[in-house]
Amino acid sequence: MTETTTRVRSIGLHVPMVDGPEKVSGRAKYTADLVPVGALAGRIFRSSCSHAEIISLDTSAALKLPGVMAIVTGADCDTTFGVLPIAATEYPLARVRIRYQGEPVAAVAAVDDATAKKALSLIKLKVRELPAYLTPEAATAKDAIDLHEKRPGNIEREADYELGDVTAGFAKADLVREQTFTTSEVCQAHMEPHAAIAEFDPVRSRLTVHCTTQVPYYVHLMLARCLKMDKSQIRVVKPQLGGGFGARTEALNVELICALLAKKAGGTVRLLISREETFLTSRCRPQSWLRMKIGLTKEGQITAAELETIQRGGAYSGYGIVTILYAGALLYGLYDLPSVKFLGKRILTNTPPSGAMRGHGTVKTRFAFEALLDSMARELDLDPFTVRRANLLKAPTFTKNDLMVNSYGLAECLDWTEKASGWKIKKGKLEKGRGIGMACSHYISGAAKPVNWTGEPHATINLKLDFDGSVVVLTGAAEIGQGSSTILVQCVAEVLGLDLSRIRIVAGDSEVTPKDNGSYSSRVTFMVGNAAVEAARNLKTVLVTAAARELGVKPEDIEVLGEIYRAASQDKGLSYDQVVAAALKDSGTIMVKGTFTTPLEAQGGKAYRGAAVGATMGFSYAAQVVEVSVDEETGQVTVEKVWAAHDCGKALNRLTVEGQIQGSVWMGMGQALSEEVVYHPKSGLPLTASLLDYRVPTIKDSPPIECHIVESNDPNGPFGAKEAGEGSLAAFIPAFTNAIEDAIGIRFTDLPVTPDKIFAAMEKRKRATGKL
Amino acid sequence: MESLPDFDLIRPRTLDEAVKARQKFPGNRLLGGGTDLLVNIRRGIGDAPTALIDMTNIAELKTIKADAKKLKIGASVTIQEVADDSTIAHHYPAIAEAAASIAGPTQRAMGTLGGNLCLDTRCIYYNQSDWWRSANGFCLKYQGEKCHIALKSKTCFATYSGDLAPAAMVLGAEVEIIGPNGQRRLTLTDLYSGDGQNYLTLEEGEIITALSIKKEPGLRSGYEKIRTRQSIDYPLAGVAAGLCREGNKITDFHIAVTGTNPKPVLLDGTAHLVGGPLDDEFFNALDKLMSAQIKSMKTTLAPGNYRRKMAGVLARRLTKKLFDNYCQ
Amino acid sequence: MKKIVKFTLNGQPHVGAVADNILLIDYLRGMGLTGTKTGCDGGECGACTVLINDQPALACLTLAPTVQGARVETIESQSRGGGLSDIQLGFHHKLGSQCGFCTPGFIMAAEGLLRRNPQPNDEEIREALGSNICRCTGYVKIIEAVKWAAKERGRGVR
Repeated sequence: MTETTTRVRSIGLHVPMVDGPEKVSGRAKYTADLVPVGALAGRIFRSSCSHAEIISLDTSAALKLPGVMAIVTGADCDTTFGVLPIAATEYPLARVRIRYQGEPVAAVAAVDDATAKKALSLIKLKVRELPAYLTPEAATAKDAIDLHEKRPGNIEREADYELGDVTAGFAKADLVREQTFTTSEVCQAHMEPHAAIAEFDPVRSRLTVHCTTQVPYYVHLMLARCLKMDKSQIRVVKPQLGGGFGARTEALNVELICALLAKKAGGTVRLLISREETFLTSRCRPQSWLRMKIGLTKEGQITAAELETIQRGGAYSGYGIVTILYAGALLYGLYDLPSVKFLGKRILTNTPPSGAMRGHGTVKTRFAFEALLDSMARELDLDPFTVRRANLLKAPTFTKNDLMVNSYGLAECLDWTEKASGWKIKKGKLEKGRGIGMACSHYISGAAKPVNWTGEPHATINLKLDFDGSVVVLTGAAEIGQGSSTILVQCVAEVLGLDLSRIRIVAGDSEVTPKDNGSYSSRVTFMVGNAAVEAARNLKTVLVTAAARELGVKPEDIEVLGEIYRAASQDKGLSYDQVVAAALKDSGTIMVKGTFTTPLEAQGGKAYRGAAVGATMGFSYAAQVVEVSVDEETGQVTVEKVWAAHDCGKALNRLTVEGQIQGSVWMGMGQALSEEVVYHPKSGLPLTASLLDYRVPTIKDSPPIECHIVESNDPNGPFGAKEAGEGSLAAFIPAFTNAIEDAIGIRFTDLPVTPDKIFAAMEKRKRATGKL
Repeated sequence: MESLPDFDLIRPRTLDEAVKARQKFPGNRLLGGGTDLLVNIRRGIGDAPTALIDMTNIAELKTIKADAKKLKIGASVTIQEVADDSTIAHHYPAIAEAAASIAGPTQRAMGTLGGNLCLDTRCIYYNQSDWWRSANGFCLKYQGEKCHIALKSKTCFATYSGDLAPAAMVLGAEVEIIGPNGQRRLTLTDLYSGDGQNYLTLEEGEIITALSIKKEPGLRSGYEKIRTRQSIDYPLAGVAAGLCREGNKITDFHIAVTGTNPKPVLLDGTAHLVGGPLDDEFFNALDKLMSAQIKSMKTTLAPGNYRRKMAGVLARRLTKKLFDNYCQ
Repeated sequence: MKKIVKFTLNGQPHVGAVADNILLIDYLRGMGLTGTKTGCDGGECGACTVLINDQPALACLTLAPTVQGARVETIESQSRGGGLSDIQLGFHHKLGSQCGFCTPGFIMAAEGLLRRNPQPNDEEIREALGSNICRCTGYVKIIEAVKWAAKERGRGVR
């Protein structure tokens, strides 16, 4: 079998998304767009206190209301759920204890929404209030009571490691500096509110759930667990999804409650939750406190780094343990660090549970690291680019915490951003109030070890080829808007040399598609992409074998020219249709599969407890320059422009890679500029549970973002690809605060950097310098 | 997302019908573009109306009339129409600038002048869902006993955030009102009570029909505001100014502020500032007036102090700009 | 109480019986026009943007009976004869749409813009789309999509 150059190609080109026409025409069906006939309307009754013991819950009046078909409470589910098998601490509906404002306590299914709403007002909940701990300090105070039995002191997890000799490292440094940073909780604020439709067939005792999730398989597992059903009796479908960004990388109470209602009502329940409830339900990036310490030589070489961090985890575990471990592990992987010490604490508090958000675990660490590095470069009179270049890794290598780095395009990222932004002529030379800053970041291409370890391959793709000659890609990978379906179609088309129009994809329906862990940790392109490539190769072998038999030659003599299969010596070969017909003669409908498993050496080491978190097949790399102007009278900042370079190994689709880079840079901008989840300091009620008060930047606040794709060709990635959708987020934030310092000479260490903070800092400086 | 409670929708074609409808349906509310009112009703803020009277179908309220001496904008003219009108932009720029800065383009296309003038006051304890306010024990403005901003306060501090009112105030605008007892005119400043709860002084059954402004030759005006995002957001502070200049002297001066107090504040005492140049003494005196009259409590996520300070910055900035760019 | 409401919906005369308190978004979605999305609790995100008499409007804050006699256009009106409009093609080719949830609202706001101003510059595009929130794109490719569409429309392609 010989590869030829005349085949149809799409890899590396600008390819519009395969599901684009549905989205731009409004025909794409999202969960709330599905309206099964006779579906009941679901509503959730939520707690109105942050911490309490339930004394009584009376639903009798609500049940009597005509049109109410079912009410579920904590009594209907005595099984906890949670994405980490070691930390399933949460009930779909609170039992005994309420741990945050807005926690679901009961739910109603009624003939219509108005009846369901009325029923909620008839539910009577009596509680004994307990002291509410809204901050890690309060939750870890001496007399604080424990939120959970098995989490003494409200510590979800303490993680620490020391690799290399940090004391010696700091001793060797010419400059050692330490700085504390704080970052607010931020929310994914995906555009589609959470929703679920659960259909229970009481005759067969079967359950079908359509829901807004990035992880249909994890939802499946939790449905089986909480409803005490056999997995084989459950089907989970993920319709079109309006964004995820980590908010739905674990089963949420929404789909579990909806299923509990459907089962109890013996019918179909549609549960659409509001934007306010979506804020309460999303697993936000936790509020964090960080103390970063770095040692540098006067040439800018890092000798040691130390990070202590505390995260406000919220009321339940969620991904918490993983988040705190990432915060430490991903100090590594970007630069060559001789010695690192890490101490992290994840604290349980009476706020909605935090979780994984785009750039999971690394964003705050990277902010602190890159910001401190910038200050130190200034102090040493070194250019920030010089400092980065003095600490580059040399791939292939393993970091000191055993993270595998096979490809490393950071140097190229640095070169491009420096040149494209005009750094050398701008840095320190812009007019008053205008400034420029840079920073770097990286991210994993899929967690090498899934949280739910089964020993199975990490990804499986099935391909179906039938009489019509179309190839159907069957995948459990969740298309969430990132373009995973497009990438998988491209991978298959590329290997087979077929036009994209020959390939169809069916994604995210447990009844027909192979299991997939889901869309998180930027795993899909790398892992599922590799499985798709393998599946396509297997299919090609089938076709080539059939063609060879038909032509009476050996398979190795077959040459594939797009849709022509011919023996090398012959002029006229077989058409694709003829080859397909020949292949079908053997077996009828052809099903082939491909899988991908991360090799053992990529799965991390045992350097410390939890060291497998952070391990990946490869890292993406990013460098960014941000230019800002600051109105020195009002503190208002304008982001003038961003230059973003990203090493994604190989851009399988330049269009979607650019879209991912721009989207993540911009999401970092939101966190830096204006986004902040705030709870009332006394009541714990959310003060920002709307898109008016949770300030996602508008188009008027958003700058041009010029992208540059660096291709370091990872030896293990599909066609050399690595991740593209998360790695650029983290760099924006420090690049932004570095730019503000360049503009007005003030360092901000508390996110978001809102105008009032800038104004207050400038007033403070004026007072200090006697100019006020 | 909450649906709406049951009510009758009345769509009068004439003002007369509207006045009658107000009397016929006790507990009604007037509906303009709905960008404020319907959000609030959906959240259960304010008593559920028995009837909504849609004012956007009344032709006589949808015109902008301008001549050499005065301007009259009907209450149902959309904010976008106000922003786009070339006469307003030329002769009453504060109004056009304020209109163009409101919320976002779609809200401007829907919202009306009357609606913006009557924009409900806002507070983080008030603009919340029913569940939220109930969990918080409600508040003085609606259904509750206490103000969460100032626990001992007997009055409500909810903030007025309309942009058009201050712009119109510095131009000496009046509102035309019709009600069960006939027509009356009210200086715009007198439309607002200063209490965040009952923030308008309108009598039962009254309807604002128009904003009218006499053209003051020589008065130059403008509007500037600060907000966290440059679209959609309500102002953290908005300042309108109008002034006259003769040579190096400022001879007439009016300034009004929104986004800080429970009402739009037309700064009292500016008459004493005129007659001299625009020097430090002038600005210090202006600062004093501002700090005495502009009070912003923590009704927004942004600190009240910041909003107050920004009002001061904008007042200085806008006054200087209008003075420097002044042309006869 | 339900009223008979007559209006032009996506170019066709439409008659419906609607209750006074029904929001246009619920009415449209209830009749299967689910391209118009609900993304917030009222007026904050623009996902429900439709055109009423050529003006962008938030269907979540419009009472259905008030469109009496008006021309209402939803995203479904854009795909004439089953093909995609210039703006839809722009969003598709230029990746102005990622997850797609905000896309119908953006496309309708952009359609409103191009009818008022067929050749908008970047700043005019930013201004006109300022009521719509997108969480995926950072807006860069949305601006490119609208510019691409304006160019196509300028050449008489539609």
